[in-house]
Amino acid sequence: MVNLPLLLALQETNREIEGGLFDFNATLPLMALQFLALTVILNLLFYKPVSNVLDDRDEYIRNSLTMASTSLIKANELTQKYEQELAESRKQAQDIIKKSQQEAQQIVSIKIKEAQQDAEKLVFEASQQLNIQKEQALKTLEDQVDALSDQIKLKLLNGNLL
Amino acid sequence: MYQQEVEVISSYIAVSAVEVGKHLYWEIGGYKLHGQVFIVSWLVIIALLSLAFIGTRNLERVPKNLQNFMEFVIEFLQDIAKNQIGEHEYRSWVPYIATIFLFILGSNWAGALIPWKLIQLPEGELAAPTNDINTTVALSLLTSLSYFYAGLNKNGLGYFARYVEPTPVLLPINILEDFTKPLSLSFRLFGNILADELVVSVFTLLVPILIPLPVMILGLFASSIQALIFSTLSAAYIGEALEGHGEH
Repeated sequence: MVNLPLLLALQETNREIEGGLFDFNATLPLMALQFLALTVILNLLFYKPVSNVLDDRDEYIRNSLTMASTSLIKANELTQKYEQELAESRKQAQDIIKKSQQEAQQIVSIKIKEAQQDAEKLVFEASQQLNIQKEQALKTLEDQVDALSDQIKLKLLNGNLL
Repeated sequence: MYQQEVEVISSYIAVSAVEVGKHLYWEIGGYKLHGQVFIVSWLVIIALLSLAFIGTRNLERVPKNLQNFMEFVIEFLQDIAKNQIGEHEYRSWVPYIATIFLFILGSNWAGALIPWKLIQLPEGELAAPTNDINTTVALSLLTSLSYFYAGLNKNGLGYFARYVEPTPVLLPINILEDFTKPLSLSFRLFGNILADELVVSVFTLLVPILIPLPVMILGLFASSIQALIFSTLSAAYIGEALEGHGEH
């Protein structure tokens, strides 16, 4: 049992003819060539297509962004234009409203004046007719009074005479 | 009597033994290869390729489940490259940095997550490809080559002017740096992964599941960090080489 490490070591040394940790041979250049081949194949198969996709996506995003900003500018311009137009038409509408209001007021005042004149005329005519009728009534009254007084006078005179 | 006991114990150890420095040798055209490294690395490569293949089947502008994940991965890797190399030049280096990260992460996790011990090999054992010094040195030498290429490609021979910056006194240190960079890269990765696997296998040899499990989880964490470190440092070296000396 004590001899175990020694025995193992002996076994190892007996078997070790060639090899070792630092055993350089044709593995080295072949591994390098193999690695270069792997690089080329992976480049064709993996790196190029995937980075192309990435680049395409970057470009697409950039284009979309520029397009979006141009459309935004356009939209802003359109909004400004429409707002201006809106303000103008609002002004026009107000002008029209003012004008029509003034016209309406004028018409109303003219009509009121006419109506007043008409009314005055009517009142005047009515009062004139009233006066005439009053005079006529007074006249007939006077006539009747005269007639009555004549009759009374006659009656009185007849009575006295009798 | 002791002999019997020793045999029993050694046979037990042979099943869950710590095998260091033993390789499954293949021979191609007189050159020797480490077979176990290639087997696992092929599995990792197949896994990466199939993930990439399935994940990029129908790419759309509005991403869905798997495409989301793939885009997250690639954005993460692009960020590593972008942070170290800079906005202008990182694009051509994304494939290299990304593959380094994915391959190292896949290798490390393949070594940590799959119970390779269940598969017996005639010699050596299946493990993470990154616990073989050949793999890590290959990757770090590729990093060295790529940052030299990046610097020379951009600044021409003026690239070598940076060796005498800020003063010519630092010339030897600057030259030394070109050797220490791949050395530190490769040994950092190699040492971390090998040490992690050794710790786990020694613990499993000594005690059952309760003690090794936290260590294994720590190993998973450490191996992903190693992948991040390797790719970030590679990107940093490339970025450093690309930095024109006239610019700052």
